[in-house]
Amino acid sequence: MHLKTALRGATALSVCIAAGAATAQDTTLTIATVNNGDMIRMQALADDFTSRHPGIALDWVVLEENVLRQRVTTDIATQGGQYDVMTIGTYEVPIWAAQGWLEPLSDLPAEYDVDDLTPSIRTALTYEDTLYAAPFYGESAMVMYRTDLAQEAGVEIPAEPTWQDIMAAAEAMTDRENEVYGICLRGKPGWGENMAFLTAMANSYGARWFDMDWQPQFDSSEWQAAVSDYITMMTEYGPPGASANGFNENLALFQQGKCGMWIDATVAASFVTNPDDSAVADSVGYAMFPSKDGVDNRGNWLWAWSLAIPESSDAKDAAKQFVAWATGRDYTQLVADRDGWRAAPPGTRTSLYQNADYQAAAPFAEMTLKAMEAATPDTPSAQETPYTGGQVVAIPEFQGIGTAVGQVFSAALAGQMDADQALQNAQQLTQREMQRAGYIQ
Amino acid sequence: MATQHSRAAARLMISPAVVVLLLWMIVPLALTLYFSTLRYNLLMPGANPFVGLENYRYFFTDPAFTTALVNTLLLVGGVLVITVGGGIALALLLDQEMFGQGIVRLLVIAPFFVMPTVSALVWKNMFMDPVNGLFGYIARAFGAQPFEWLTAAPLFSIILIVSWQWLPFATLILLTAIQSLSSEQLEAAEMDGAGFGSKFLWIILPHLARAITVVILIQTIFLLSIFAEILVTTGGGPGVASTNLTYLVYIQSLLQFDVGLGSAGGVVAIVLANIVAIFLMRMIGKNLDA
Amino acid sequence: MARAVTTRRKAVNTAIAWTIGLLIFFPILWTFLTSFKTEAEAISSPPAFLFFDWTLENYGAVQERSNYFRHFMNSVVISIGSTVIGLIIAVPAAWAMAFVPGRQTRNVLMWMLSTKMLPPVGVLVPIYLIFRDFGLLDTRTGLVIVLTLINLPIIVWMLYTYFREIPGEILEAARMDGASLRNEIIHVLTPMAVPGIASTLLLNVILAWNEAFWTLNLTAANAAPLTAFIASYSSPEGLFYAKLSAASTMAIAPILIIGWFSQKQLVRGLTFGAVK
Repeated sequence: MHLKTALRGATALSVCIAAGAATAQDTTLTIATVNNGDMIRMQALADDFTSRHPGIALDWVVLEENVLRQRVTTDIATQGGQYDVMTIGTYEVPIWAAQGWLEPLSDLPAEYDVDDLTPSIRTALTYEDTLYAAPFYGESAMVMYRTDLAQEAGVEIPAEPTWQDIMAAAEAMTDRENEVYGICLRGKPGWGENMAFLTAMANSYGARWFDMDWQPQFDSSEWQAAVSDYITMMTEYGPPGASANGFNENLALFQQGKCGMWIDATVAASFVTNPDDSAVADSVGYAMFPSKDGVDNRGNWLWAWSLAIPESSDAKDAAKQFVAWATGRDYTQLVADRDGWRAAPPGTRTSLYQNADYQAAAPFAEMTLKAMEAATPDTPSAQETPYTGGQVVAIPEFQGIGTAVGQVFSAALAGQMDADQALQNAQQLTQREMQRAGYIQ
Repeated sequence: MATQHSRAAARLMISPAVVVLLLWMIVPLALTLYFSTLRYNLLMPGANPFVGLENYRYFFTDPAFTTALVNTLLLVGGVLVITVGGGIALALLLDQEMFGQGIVRLLVIAPFFVMPTVSALVWKNMFMDPVNGLFGYIARAFGAQPFEWLTAAPLFSIILIVSWQWLPFATLILLTAIQSLSSEQLEAAEMDGAGFGSKFLWIILPHLARAITVVILIQTIFLLSIFAEILVTTGGGPGVASTNLTYLVYIQSLLQFDVGLGSAGGVVAIVLANIVAIFLMRMIGKNLDA
Repeated sequence: MARAVTTRRKAVNTAIAWTIGLLIFFPILWTFLTSFKTEAEAISSPPAFLFFDWTLENYGAVQERSNYFRHFMNSVVISIGSTVIGLIIAVPAAWAMAFVPGRQTRNVLMWMLSTKMLPPVGVLVPIYLIFRDFGLLDTRTGLVIVLTLINLPIIVWMLYTYFREIPGEILEAARMDGASLRNEIIHVLTPMAVPGIASTLLLNVILAWNEAFWTLNLTAANAAPLTAFIASYSSPEGLFYAKLSAASTMAIAPILIIGWFSQKQLVRGLTFGAVK
């Protein structure tokens, strides 16, 4: 009795408060997104959308990447229906589309111009000839370095460097007294953090995750070389506490002028050259992702944060209108008008790279495009692979395995074990998980 | 004397609380037990076949399991030692006469009201970060290399953060207990020529026994399931150096979305928590009735 | 007086206690100060303590990005709602256990407390599925139910120990006068129990306010309280210490102020009356 009355009371109370907040709109979209700079800008610009669509109100759920991923995956896998638009990556899209969890984006309006989307990204977001998500921004990986420090140290970083060039430059630029570290790389564990970088680096060393029988390959000499070089570079020329640094931490370090080089997502270029946030905006140079002597592979990093609509949404039409707005050409123009062309969301549209204003405002445009065109996620390694995916392995189990292996390499970077021990652990752990998942006996 | 009638009434009054808690315990527990016998991965919907005890086998043979168990005990134990020890010292200090005692008390108690997520974020970024943190700055000011708190001593750092949050709680309770100590007793001891050491050992500490038990019980309940602090600061790493049982279950059920394995881990964690619970209940039961 | 202290000793005590008190409080103070700095000043070396250009821009930026008031109202409704419902269920139970104890009372109490030890991560998926089926995801009602349930054992325990201290003879006397059970509760028991109930209420509001697992995992936008608000300021791109500090200050200030005003009741409540 008490419980019922009380619940009714609480419900009534909630209804009253909700009613106070309710407005004239008929549809409310709940949009889940990452707290990255570009998405926060999208939120700030959303008035443009709501003024064009007065019947649609927007609710934002803006979370840190890991938390967001856990929330949306739980929701979509249980058909919870809490979100109408989800921000997901190129890794999730084909896997989720195969499960029938995503609404196809086949009937986008003509002015959206689907054919303008960057081909490699469009392919990555397509499953069985149907587009399932619209790219918000796309990226590959490249080297960003301080031209002033390189000059001071008397080193030159070629436009297409090898790992040897990078190591030599890192050594020359390191100046621990003044808190300048030759190279900053991801060390924070996670399949989308340190493993994204390490997988790309291993690809460029000619390594692969699995052989054609799905046997893990961490015991190969290629992985051995990649991981030991990574740990050597980071311990000798990297910043302190590197095993806790992800993309955002390294971005902050680079912006403060504490990194000589940083190899990471191309999207970072627009942040490190933004004079409002970056102390080194004027002296950033770019180079392709390094390769190893004798291996023709530059990592094959390809990623796009994309907007998708879950099958469980009850406002699919309004959601489609929003997705078309946020990833359309007009949005790019809107960003350019407000924050300048340099800030335009990169990597998703061919037309952007033909735009003279953009080329003038974004010195990194050429290298970004070149890096994205060079990435071939369908053939990640020089060796034959049973899987696709550049800095990821496109199987559902990869999230779990990648995170666990990421912890092992992070521990090695923190000095808890050496490279050989870490590779051995990674090998055992991956074997165990692949057995559990039924890939190998 | 309670009559038949009032007993029936009493039963009626207790039942809502018992029924809702029973539901709250049994429904998720039954589902968890059921899931723990299935091959059930959220990312691979399908038949979810029955696999018996396979999930338990994988959970127990997970190399992280023993580490997580040890870390859980270290975390609970470490925080208890720091907060009880520090709490007694602070309580003795605050019991002395001084100027502005009320304000000092407010300062000391404040961390208890800070959300765990907020305190973890603040400590991680603004203090323990080796490059931008205040500790790093202080180290450099003295010409030393900054200590890499969260990577070199992850579990210890988490123990420190959690202790900061719980120290006020221990201090407040112990202070209240000390203040209830009759001053005649202490005066009598002083007359007999007892120094501070013997006063503390023979009068104050026995008097505090019950309060200390209460601190240990309540804190243990909350400390066994520490989660937010680990998630925000170290993510259980590097490696599994700061993974406790709760966090291990989280990794399995929500990062790998392996509900079967996560459920098996959940069942194990529940069993272990209840063993600790029974042990604690015995202790507290005696002390509370006295 | 043997316990009288000299002014000198008092001064020494004061100095030590203030130093330690300020050290313990420092992280909160530092967060508060940082919230008024620019992002660049927030990480400047040497750190600026008081002499920087105080600015409110971080609070503006935070308000622009998230609807603080909505999160705040959700926190208020959820924490107070769950505590009040918890009290409604717990008061009769605790009353009965305190005044008409049976053989099983101790065991029931112990069992209740042991339900608090279930690790929430282990049962998230089942609860999520149940919530989905009942349409409770992202509703305040749903969160009120969960938080009521997880704090109910603590509420029962606290009330039980308060009620046990009310002398039974008073009730006997009331019964002699022919008071009905209802009158007994309203006119005799309630006035004596109000302080205990008040402190139980306070403590549970604080616990519910700071609960960060269920509140984060079962909400999206409509019912998300301040714990979810803070989550969006955790490790974003670029410099964020100042904005994080502003958001933190906004999230903890209300409960910190309430807590400061109620510290006496808290001690009483937290210890289940074991410490007087």
